[in-house]
Amino acid sequence: MTGPGGAPPAATRPAGPAAERERPAPTRYRRRLTDRDGALAWLFLAPAVVYILALVGVPFLLAVAFSFSDVTGGDPSFDWTGLQNFGRVFADPVFWRALRNTLVFTALSMVFIVLFGKVLANVLIADFRGRWLVRFLVLLPWTTPVALSTITWLWMLDSVFSPIDWVLRQVGLIQANMFYLGRPTLAMASVIAVHVWRLVPLAAVIMMAGLLSIPKDVQEQALVDGAGYWRRMVEITIPLTAPVIAISALFGAIFTFTDMTVVYVLTRGGPTNETQVLASWAFFRGIEGGDVGQGAAIALFLFPLLLAAAIAILRAVRRMEVS
Amino acid sequence: MANGSEFDRRRFLQVTGLAALGGALVACGGGGGGGAPAPTQAAPPGTFTPPSTSLSGALSLLMWSHFVPAHDAWFDPWVKDWGSKVGVAVTVDHINYAELPARTQAEIQAKQGHDLILHIAPVPQYEPSVLDLTDVVTEAEKRHGTQLDLCRRSSVNPTTRKFFAYAPAWVPDPGDYRQSLWAPVGLANGPASWDDLLRGGAEIKRTQGVQLGVGMSQEIDSNMAGRALLWSYGASIQNEAEEVVLNSPETVEAVAFMSRLYQQAMTPEVFSWNAASNNQGLAAGQLSYILNSISAWRTSQETDPETAHDIFFTAPLRGPADARAASHVMYNWIVPNHATNPAAAKEFLLHYTANLDVVAWQSKLYDFPAYPDVVPDLKKWLDADPFGAQPPGKLALLGDAVSWSTNVGYPGTANTAEGEVFATFVIPNMFARAARGEVSAQQAVADAEAQVTPIFDNWRARGLIGTGGR
Repeated sequence: MTGPGGAPPAATRPAGPAAERERPAPTRYRRRLTDRDGALAWLFLAPAVVYILALVGVPFLLAVAFSFSDVTGGDPSFDWTGLQNFGRVFADPVFWRALRNTLVFTALSMVFIVLFGKVLANVLIADFRGRWLVRFLVLLPWTTPVALSTITWLWMLDSVFSPIDWVLRQVGLIQANMFYLGRPTLAMASVIAVHVWRLVPLAAVIMMAGLLSIPKDVQEQALVDGAGYWRRMVEITIPLTAPVIAISALFGAIFTFTDMTVVYVLTRGGPTNETQVLASWAFFRGIEGGDVGQGAAIALFLFPLLLAAAIAILRAVRRMEVS
Repeated sequence: MANGSEFDRRRFLQVTGLAALGGALVACGGGGGGGAPAPTQAAPPGTFTPPSTSLSGALSLLMWSHFVPAHDAWFDPWVKDWGSKVGVAVTVDHINYAELPARTQAEIQAKQGHDLILHIAPVPQYEPSVLDLTDVVTEAEKRHGTQLDLCRRSSVNPTTRKFFAYAPAWVPDPGDYRQSLWAPVGLANGPASWDDLLRGGAEIKRTQGVQLGVGMSQEIDSNMAGRALLWSYGASIQNEAEEVVLNSPETVEAVAFMSRLYQQAMTPEVFSWNAASNNQGLAAGQLSYILNSISAWRTSQETDPETAHDIFFTAPLRGPADARAASHVMYNWIVPNHATNPAAAKEFLLHYTANLDVVAWQSKLYDFPAYPDVVPDLKKWLDADPFGAQPPGKLALLGDAVSWSTNVGYPGTANTAEGEVFATFVIPNMFARAARGEVSAQQAVADAEAQVTPIFDNWRARGLIGTGGR
């Protein structure tokens, strides 16, 4: 038997206010703290909050400050320049192309990620031998570091030594190499394909969790009532997993929107800036070109667009949950 | 039947698995061309001059991973040995050359990091945050004679008169060609002019199915190639007064020529290249001609001697106005303001300069000296390559590379605006857009000028480049 707060039995210790006074202060403090849910919540949240403030908040504020300054890669001294960097960014046709590419890459990638993710999730929940091995293999593209996997794709899409071209030539589908990264349309398609390839596993796993959460009796009742595969898919599966699909779409959009690794490794924004995106153009301008202020101004354009997309999707999810 | 089928499948997997494993082991263990040829002479002994003031503490170096790996294998213990002689603990960090700008800027922003950083292209953009190395240049010239003009123009800002870097070495950028492909078209010694390149390259593509490769991609070699073509037509991005003069009839002519060259002798691969692509294509026999240094050929000497024997070099191609090439690499050593041991850094640079003969040797004649007197045997080595060139005089044309090489930014100096134009690939994209037929040559040049002018205006406003008489 223990006393309140986990104290030893009364018989073994002096009771009353005197005993309370004799209890060691740290222990008393600890016990009071452990009883306070609010304080505990903040305590447990603190590492995450500190992490986000230090590694996201501070760099974000720094980028905002840089975008209004003349800071360069070789001169960190801060001089206020107002909207000058933004004016120069708007006058640059490459910026507008990068903005357009960013939106196009994100939208198309999102569509394919959701589509293939849904198909793959259906495959992964099916009952077959070796399912765990298949799930493990499917997840590999997501767990492989993006730079490493993109370098593999760089080799796969090589203008001279592409194994894809070799196979297509052997089966007689093409006569000459395709030059995937040397032709604007194919280069853009390649970037989108690599984004889809690496993000589909994540979307599939998220959707798989959603599919597994649908009560079996709902599907079984529909089956008994004579609903076919597509009807169950359209009227039961998709509505019930819509919030999860939206979340996977949001993840896909954010990861595609903010990524510069795929473009940097595959095309460096080429040919002729046709695959340039905001993140890569900010890097080329700000770091390689040395104009940090302008690079920061370009990078900042990611923020309002991402914020708007995130709010829109999360609100849509909430509406779906309420309804 | 089912069991039999399963057994067969299992057997199939076992056999194919073993075959794949065996193949992998053979691939890992085999291959190669028997290693690098042994040098036919002993390496120069090098020299050591005790510093005039006593040194102590630590010295940290950040530099690229040299394209000739043997250089780094020699350099690291060599610099540490120098440190032990002068009482300085030296550490050396090597990173990929492409990561140097980001790393350097991070250290400048943080106001801490390495004492000495080696870049392989002019870095005028760091001028406000690095020490003026005029004293090093003055002392080096006192000891070894005048610094080459192209190195000086790649390390000094004529507007501020500050040596933002020290450039004791550089690398020429000749043309590289496969002789077995060019001999049948009557050009066994390779093309000598851009017109030769067009005529011969087109014929090789037509008759032998092998294209040539002058890059128009967003990478360093394409930047160099585009500038070489501009200069050979008498065009340039800026003039000596650092004014933008890109939009000229000469530039339009050069862009129109590149379009013809692409249509008749190249494929779309030139729009997708990275810095290694043209080397790989030449070594694989997939390209008849490229613009590059000798490093890829040196690698081929080890991995594929037959191919290496077939690769030869040419001087820059002659155009209507000139025959000129940019330096392939321009060493720029910088000492950041935050360096904790600048005295040791400067002393090391003088020691490095005094041993440029060893540097040239250990890089297998890749690195050339900015102070020719330090390497008196360079011409002898180039005439009879001590590292196994077949024929031995293959590199002889590099003996007068100084006369046909120049700095990025020619006829002006390498400045911050030229650096940003270089980093944002304006020139290769100008050529590429016209070559692909996206816009006319005139429009491509006008669009490029529209990108270049604000860059120059920006850096001019910061006082880092000249006012062009205004």
